[in-house]
Amino acid sequence: MNAPTIEYAELAPLITIFGAAVIGVLIEAFVPRKVRHPVQVAVALLALVAALVQVILLAGTGMVAAVGAVAVDGPALFLQGTILVLAIISVAFFAERRLEAGGDAFAPAASTLPGSEEERILVRERMLQTEVYPLALFAVGGMLLFPAANDLLMLFIALEVMSLPLYLLCGMARRRRLLSQEAALKYFLLGAFSSAIFLFGMAFVYGYAGTLRFGEISEALTANIGQDGILLAGVGLMAVGLLFKVGAVPFHSWTPDVYQGAPTPVTGFMAACTKLAAFGAMVRLFYVAFGGMRTDWQPMLWAVAIATMLVGAVVALTQTDIKRMLAYSSIAHAGFVLTAMVAADQTATAAILFYLATYGIATLGAFAVVTLVRDSGGEATHLAKWAGLGRRSPVLAATFALFLLAFAGIPLTSGFVGKLSVFTAAIDGGAAPLVVVGVIASAIAAFFYVRVIVLMFFSDPAPEGPTVAVPSLWTAVGITLGAAATLLLGIVPGPLLDLAQQASLFVR
Amino acid sequence: MNPTNYLVLSVILFSIGAAGVLVRRNALVAFMSVELMLNAANLAFVTFARMHGNLDGQIVAFFVMVVAAAEVVVGLAIIVTIFRTRRSASVDDASLLKL
Amino acid sequence: MNAYAPILGLILLAAVFAVGSVAFSVVAGPKRFNRARLDSYECGIEPTPQPVGGGRFPVKYYLTAMTFIIFDIEIIFLYPWAVRFDHLGVFGFVAMVTFIFLITVPFIYEWRRGGLDWD
Repeated sequence: MNAPTIEYAELAPLITIFGAAVIGVLIEAFVPRKVRHPVQVAVALLALVAALVQVILLAGTGMVAAVGAVAVDGPALFLQGTILVLAIISVAFFAERRLEAGGDAFAPAASTLPGSEEERILVRERMLQTEVYPLALFAVGGMLLFPAANDLLMLFIALEVMSLPLYLLCGMARRRRLLSQEAALKYFLLGAFSSAIFLFGMAFVYGYAGTLRFGEISEALTANIGQDGILLAGVGLMAVGLLFKVGAVPFHSWTPDVYQGAPTPVTGFMAACTKLAAFGAMVRLFYVAFGGMRTDWQPMLWAVAIATMLVGAVVALTQTDIKRMLAYSSIAHAGFVLTAMVAADQTATAAILFYLATYGIATLGAFAVVTLVRDSGGEATHLAKWAGLGRRSPVLAATFALFLLAFAGIPLTSGFVGKLSVFTAAIDGGAAPLVVVGVIASAIAAFFYVRVIVLMFFSDPAPEGPTVAVPSLWTAVGITLGAAATLLLGIVPGPLLDLAQQASLFVR
Repeated sequence: MNPTNYLVLSVILFSIGAAGVLVRRNALVAFMSVELMLNAANLAFVTFARMHGNLDGQIVAFFVMVVAAAEVVVGLAIIVTIFRTRRSASVDDASLLKL
Repeated sequence: MNAYAPILGLILLAAVFAVGSVAFSVVAGPKRFNRARLDSYECGIEPTPQPVGGGRFPVKYYLTAMTFIIFDIEIIFLYPWAVRFDHLGVFGFVAMVTFIFLITVPFIYEWRRGGLDWD
């Protein structure tokens, strides 16, 4: 029996992140509580930066590693790099300590009861939650693995490694703990339900093909024509699991609740990074493994894309909470990405990669702005409280307006170029009717984004309106970088578009 | 031995589990139903492994068991915490987010 | 048809045993009722919904269960390795040592954070 070869050099970013997460757990065990926080933040940031450097050094690789289980190719590396950049900014937001009187956005200990004596002691001694950093690193590790997974088993493991820490992170808010814990419970139950469905679909695909590797499944598709029932069931069930993770209608119902209940830095991290990873995995699975049966899954994605765009845009209109509104906006964006997915070619992959990168940056920035607008009860997320914010704090409101305009796809923002490229890819792929629906949904969505901007700049501030907290340097830099990237990619999108184009070839 | 029977059994178990998640109100029972669904998938994997004569399906079953255990731990942690905050494990009581 | 006869017999036996033991306990058992006996049974915990503020919640039971499950189930990977130990060679050995080390890390974490202090 020969030992399998493991390409450690090509898997280095993954090993770095998982190694750092394990070190994080050991830090929890041995480093005294007083100094744990800075150590954890430093370890997390160092590991993320190191992994990013390793990903950049790997650029241009196109191979399968670990006996075909992990692909190291353009789409995987592009998404891994983007996820790492977003994760670095997210960790900076996690570590923000200037906004809350007692510390950061997290409860000092997740296990203590809100309002109990134990918790009061922890708050008084200014203890900080440190377990979020190893948890975030584990989640990032899963996210890096998810779009790179090249066989079904790795895909499932990556899905779980990504999801399990996120369930926990959702339930750790310092304020409104019950809301946060309910979000965690909902996310967990529905997430576990959807991954069980995903797994059952996986069993059927394995039953059809007799193999777990994407490449071999693709070969089996051409070889065993005539026993498609089991395959169709498998693909359908797997699609449910993935569509749940990207938050597509009709599997979107968790999104607004979880986005609202989770601590806002976690919401931003989840909204940006999870969506990137899940779309990456979905595109690889459907293009590489199921590419040969695209006529079978395209109609399904048509229906889902139309429903997702319309429901996301229309329901967002009725929201009065800013986090819920952003959640529905993220649902609509999932629909826009799906329009390009239907095209199923290399142009579509490039468009999706570019769109995801721009969407991730703008989303993270928007949620970071939400953390800054506060009143006595913590974050002031009710839309009415944002009235007149533009007069009180023009810079912040202008930044938020920029992110909203990017979501709406207004020219000179990154969102415009992103939308243009996914719609072009969809038209080239013969999905013109989808693009018509997409444009209508964009118009509806633009209405509510503009409504928020009008509310911020042209209505009178409420007498007891929220104040804008002054963030630490890290958060300020993070938001500035996000805003700069959103604007810059709208004016000179060329370099990133080229990069996405070069990175759009899946290894088989 | 006709492997189709095992597949039918696994589909039945999966359906019972799915129905359980949708119908039962206790978070713990809903969660047990999810575990039943995972194990139904395991049965399907092992059956297919037997049909194809390779070991991949059995390996997946091993990994699924471990993932299920990890899921149990995370799930119990969340359910126990919310139970202590709220003193109830009924999913209907968790309704602050239903707007 | 003959092949199914034992199954039929088994079903009959099971039915007789089930009905018989329930009937016997009704006839022979003492009749004392309390709240716990009349409650519906739901996997060992009190059925929900519970009165607010009523009754204590045995967290310890779940902690023990969680600790047990996470460390117990990992053994599953040792089993196939142990069966083919001699064929898997150095690579298999190193992989298993790494694996056991990684399992030890959460164990250390639990020990240091007081998860093993049962009083």
